[in-house]
Amino acid sequence: MISPQDALKKPVPTPDADSAALWRGLRDGELLLQHCGACGDVQYYQQATCRRCGGDNIAHRAASGRGKVHSFSVVHRAPGPAFKADLPYAVLLVELDEGPRMISSYVGGPPDEVTFDMAVMLVCEPISDDIALPRFRKA
Amino acid sequence: MSRDTLRGKVAVIGIGQSPTGKVPGRSPLWLAADAAAKALADCGLPKSAVDGVLSSPAMASSFHRFSVAFSEYFGIQPTFSNTLQVSGATAATMFNIGAAAIHGGLAEVVMVVAGDSMLSGLTPDLALRALTESRDQQYEMPFGIPVANTFAMTAHRHMKEFGTTAEQFAEVAVVQRRHASRTPGAQQTAPITVDDVLNSAMVTTPYHKLDCSLISDGGAAFILTSAEHAKALGIEKPIYILGGGECYTHEHIFLMPSLTTTGAVQSSRRAYAMAGFGPDDIDVAGVYDCFTGTVIMMLEDLGFCPKGEGGRFVADGGMSYGGKIPSNTHGGLLSFAHSGIPGSLFHFYEVIAQLRGQCGVRQVEGAELGLVHSLGAGFATNATTILGTESTL
Ligand SMILES: [Zn+2]
Repeated sequence: MISPQDALKKPVPTPDADSAALWRGLRDGELLLQHCGACGDVQYYQQATCRRCGGDNIAHRAASGRGKVHSFSVVHRAPGPAFKADLPYAVLLVELDEGPRMISSYVGGPPDEVTFDMAVMLVCEPISDDIALPRFRKA
Repeated sequence: MSRDTLRGKVAVIGIGQSPTGKVPGRSPLWLAADAAAKALADCGLPKSAVDGVLSSPAMASSFHRFSVAFSEYFGIQPTFSNTLQVSGATAATMFNIGAAAIHGGLAEVVMVVAGDSMLSGLTPDLALRALTESRDQQYEMPFGIPVANTFAMTAHRHMKEFGTTAEQFAEVAVVQRRHASRTPGAQQTAPITVDDVLNSAMVTTPYHKLDCSLISDGGAAFILTSAEHAKALGIEKPIYILGGGECYTHEHIFLMPSLTTTGAVQSSRRAYAMAGFGPDDIDVAGVYDCFTGTVIMMLEDLGFCPKGEGGRFVADGGMSYGGKIPSNTHGGLLSFAHSGIPGSLFHFYEVIAQLRGQCGVRQVEGAELGLVHSLGAGFATNATTILGTESTL
């Protein structure tokens, strides 16, 4: 059970052994994708092995930052008190040009301008000294 | 599929439901125990006859091993027990695993039991945040993604790909409210119209408040035993477990292979194959309905209508009485009650009561074969169970 005090704070990602590189990259302004040296698959969700072939020859490369909106939903009822001040905001399911999809949220304009297949561009938005969140604006 | 499946080997002989809706002053364990006592009374067994307990965690309870805490609370010492957790799909997995445990000799009498008090035991803010806590702490939660949002994005995409409309989503809520109006103990019984749904507050597009399931208190319990044991006990109308299937396609919503076709295709196909029946044979269904669009997608994936036609199917009366597959005849999570994982056990309670012919004004004439599909976590988890009367063996 989450306590009422904790519910007032936004969740801040805690990097782990699998994801440390991703969050370091975002802090430095780039979205690192994992490219498999064996099968060429590209993954956003970071882990030590390729989900397609199991290979562990993984290279990190910065994404172009370009993508399009595969789906989205504009939130009007906050998931707990910490997000109430942000309402309404658009949660995006972005399909990156490199292939992988990711969850993000929309910045730089009103949420109701988001449409399916809209071209979007990465914005790394710092939320603490160590953590920047990958958000997207209209391209 | 191997020949020696659990098909017809295990029967549900007792069903029980606690008070549901708003039940102040009662803990998740009390709600579970109240339902358990009723399920035992229903089949005339003493609690000492129960040697297996399957349960699920409660959001308003801090017990990590809810099935173990339940057994202590209820005063039994089972020799088979587990606390299962695959979100909303847990309900059907409890039946599938309970049946497998009996068929495999791990237990003779398994109690499937769960209770939670999401309405009275948590504030609305804490209930929503507790649901959100189940999303990934690094890749999803920081973006303020309510659980509703994951389902909303699938429904939204369904609108884009197949032309499904907000009015068709709303129709699901209208039909189920009509069903709930005839169910004793239902939390919401006042009739609603499509306009009422569309004019209710927006929660997360395309879902309005009345497209979303309730937050409730309540528990349910079931007694399962072998078909032979049910016979030896002289149970009047055992309801047999004919098939079970599950499918887990992803954890993160962004790794869902398709936003509009789900693991319910696989889970139901496996359950149908084991049961030896298809969607056209099913008389009554309990279809997980955390949101209205979820039902439309499930009616497609469970095979009751072709992909993309779920909206029209519902608008044409397909899930109503007299339609192809009367579904959620108790009102479902949208209008009867949704107390977390026990919510989908209420679908089981209703479908089993329908197969027993105990539903009075809600009775689906001649119901012999039923299906319950439960799912969770933005369609990450899917589980199906097919049940039938003796005539379906
Ligand atoms: Zn690979």
